[in-house]
This record gives sequence, structure tokens and C-alpha cells, in this order.
Amino acid sequence: MINKHYWGWPVAGYLFLGGLGGGMAVVSTAADLFWGKGDIFALGNFIASVIIGIGSGLLVFELGKPFRFWRVFSTQKAVMTVGAWLLGLLIITSTVYFSFWLSFLPWSNWILIRQLLAGFNLLLGVGVITYTGVLLGSMKARPFWSSPALPILFAVSGLSTGLAAQSLLAGLWPYQATQTSFEQIYGFLHKLDTGLIVFELLIVMIYVLMMRAYAGKEAEMITAKLLTGAYALPFWGGLIVLGLLIPLALYFIGGSAATLLAPWCVLIGGVFLRFLIVYSDPRKMLPGETMYKERLPKGNEAFLESWK
Amino acid sequence: MTRYAIVLDTRRCIGCHSCTVACRTHNNLPLDIIYNPVFTNGPTGVFPNIHTSYMPMICMHCANPPCVSCCPTGASIQQEDGIVWVDENKCIGCKACVMACPYGARTPSPHTGIVVKCDFCADRLAEGKEPFCVQTCHQRARIFGDLDDPKSEVHKLVNTEPVITLLPELGTEPHAFYILD
Ligand code: SF4
Ligand code: SF4
Repeated sequence: MINKHYWGWPVAGYLFLGGLGGGMAVVSTAADLFWGKGDIFALGNFIASVIIGIGSGLLVFELGKPFRFWRVFSTQKAVMTVGAWLLGLLIITSTVYFSFWLSFLPWSNWILIRQLLAGFNLLLGVGVITYTGVLLGSMKARPFWSSPALPILFAVSGLSTGLAAQSLLAGLWPYQATQTSFEQIYGFLHKLDTGLIVFELLIVMIYVLMMRAYAGKEAEMITAKLLTGAYALPFWGGLIVLGLLIPLALYFIGGSAATLLAPWCVLIGGVFLRFLIVYSDPRKMLPGETMYKERLPKGNEAFLESWK
Repeated sequence: MTRYAIVLDTRRCIGCHSCTVACRTHNNLPLDIIYNPVFTNGPTGVFPNIHTSYMPMICMHCANPPCVSCCPTGASIQQEDGIVWVDENKCIGCKACVMACPYGARTPSPHTGIVVKCDFCADRLAEGKEPFCVQTCHQRARIFGDLDDPKSEVHKLVNTEPVITLLPELGTEPHAFYILD
């Protein structure tokens, strides 16, 4: 009863998939616009649509009234409304953009339109990876979330996981040329991801230390849980070591370990990050609230049901 | 203009939980949902100078309610008279408002899937009656009225007693005012 997690694993899963899909859209459209290599990452756009679709599905699953989900497409100014529109649009436009790379379709050589769409998707992708952080970061009731650094952390993680997924998908169908030197492309992607991982590592450490020092008693208790308490194993083992340090080392070593293994570690780290943040949700307790909730009866769900 | 508000006088509250029971009865709440608990604060101090007080809770009907601004569907509504309520036909149960409320005043109902909360007994107000917890409080620790009416008791108390609000630093501008003892 105390600190019940009203947002559970579906929301954490969604935050990961949304960040991942948004990051993938950003990477492939940026590669098209600024690197001239959109063709190599074409498939990623379609996969991004699928991933965001699955993430949105999780979000609908979490609703108390799933069949009313369409009501989020309203004209409210809430962060969640904006997010719903961004997600819904990107699912569609990312697949449409992907179709421009299918050589058997008549519009595959409309290059200008494709690039306009790439620009549009780039903006949508940036919106998606940022808004998930804004959604949590704007909740002043939750001390560990309420920080402008959270959107930055989520955005960097979204980009990093998006880049990792794209490096796994690079050069797959519908890409056809065979002469490309993928060594060079991987090298560049790995360097980029290395930079993002170092940046993410810094933000995570600064975030946790700031929360410990300056954000009040609740936030301090949560950092203790992360650093030495119940969440220490997923935090140190899952996020820091498996999700950040190991891929960093693999990228440093290079070779097939960097190409095949490191991106998976980055993805797993992204999952850990979202779960750790979503479950670090306690509210600041009001005077006497903790004792009251501790005294409420526990373990009598059957009794509660029989009173309906 | 009417601006409903409530004053909670902890000097008077004896921690009997009658208001909690009254709310449950009037709103026909299931056993696992409580809108207006009474917290026991303390004992504080060092023996023999120890002290216990009771904190009657309620939705603060904030003037700047984060639960309304985060609602994606417009189901969370703040009326002109300050009452914050949930339109059960529009709520999708996304629980954004539950996460946004700093006072734990909202509960996602496991029975209906939507979010439920105190609405100052809007149905009773329409009949010219007070909220049921206010009428029930035999110690008059819960005092309800129109803050904008200079003749009302809440107006007088808020302007003459040293009232505080909970978590004022969050900028929610609660309209439940506490008199501590
Ligand atoms: S106390 Fe909570 S539910 Fe009530 S108006 Fe304020 S934020 Fe909303
Ligand atoms: S749970 Fe209902 S009232 Fe609360 S934010 Fe979601 S739609 Fe609005």
C-alpha cells in the first residue's frame, strides 16, 4: 500500500521502446540528410514503426480503460496528449518514409519529397525521445523524477539505443549494393555510440549524486536504494556495468565483439535505465502518512473482494 | 464568485475517523479506497514533553492542480468554484494524475478502471448541504465554505488564524488550510 507503483512494467517497457524507436528514426533520417547514407539504414525506419507500435500497445494495456485509448488524441495541452500525437504520427510517417527506399515502388526516386519527410521524421523522433523524459520530469510530486536532467538522460539513452539498434540493422534488406566497406561505417557508429555512452554515464552519476545531496529526504532514500540497497544489483550490474561499461570496453576492443555484442548490451542497459527510473517513484510522505498506511490491513484481498 | 475551500483544525481533531467512515458511506466506496484518511502525526518530542496530533486529509482542491494540467483527455476538470473532479465518462485510467498529485488524493479504482477522488460532495453542495465529512465531524475540525465570501467561517479563519498549506513549495496552491496546534 505504501508507495504502490501505479505505473508498472508496461510503462517502463513503453518508455524504453518509445525512446528506442524515436532514436532509430533520428539516426536513419539524420544519416539520409547529413551523411548521404539513408539507404543503409532504411529498414530501421520500418522496425522503428513496429517498435513504437508495440510500445504504444503496452501503454494502452496499462490503461484502466484500454478501449477508450483514442481519447488521448484530444486538444488538451498535457504532455501525454502531445506525446500521443507524436507517437501516432511517427508510426505512420516512419513506415511511409521506409517505402521510399523500396525500388519497386514508383515514388522511390522522388528524392526531394523523401528528404522533406526525413526532416519531418527527424523532428518527430527528437520529440518522441524527449517527451518521455518530460512526462516524468514534470511531475513535481515525485522527487526523484522532478528534474530537468531527466529528459536529457532519456534523450541520450534513446539516441544511444537507437544507434545501437541501427548498427545491428545496417545494410540489411532493402539495401542492395555489395561494395560498401562496412568496416568504416561501423567504426563511425561505434565512435558516436562511445561518445553517447560516456555522456550517459556522466549524466547518470551526476543525476544520482545530485538527488542524493540536494533533492530532499525521499530522493536521498531512493539513491541509497539504488547505490547500496534493493536496487543495487540492477543499478550497478545491469545499468552501469552491463549497459554502459561493457559496451564501452567492447567498442574499445573493436572487431566482431563490438559489432555484434556491444549493441545488445546497450539495449539491455536502456531497459534497466527505464525500469530503475519508473520504479523510483515514491512521493514525499505527508505527516503521519507512512504510519497510517502501514496500519492498513494487508493480505486480505479475498476479504476485500467479498465486500464488493 | 464562489471559491470553495476547507479548513482543517488539528486543535479540534481527536482522530476518531468518523469523517473517513462518513465519506465511505456517502460515496459508497469499496474498502480499499479512502478519500479522506486521518493521519496520526507523532508522538513527537522527547519524553515527558511528547505530543501527538491528527491530520485529517482530503483532496486539497488546488488552485494550480498538477492533476488537471497533466490529464491527456480533459477528464480531470477544475471548476470555476475550485472543485477538482474526474469525468468518469472521459477518464481512460492512464494514472498520470495519480502520479502528479503530491497529496495522494487520487486512487485508480481496481473495480472500474477509472480514477476516483473527493469532489467536495458536489451532489450535496447542489442541494445546499455541506460535504458529508464536514457535516459528520462532531468536533467541527472540518470547516467548509466559500473563501470569497467575507462572512463565511473559512474566510474568517484563513484570514485570522495562522493557517498553513501542505507542501506549499510545489506551487499547487492548495485550498485546504491547516490550523496546527
Ligand atoms: S490535492 Fe491532488 S487531486 Fe486534489 S486538486 Fe490537488 S493535485 Fe489535484
Ligand atoms: S487517469 Fe483519467 S483523470 Fe487521470 S489523467 Fe488519466 S484520463 Fe485524466
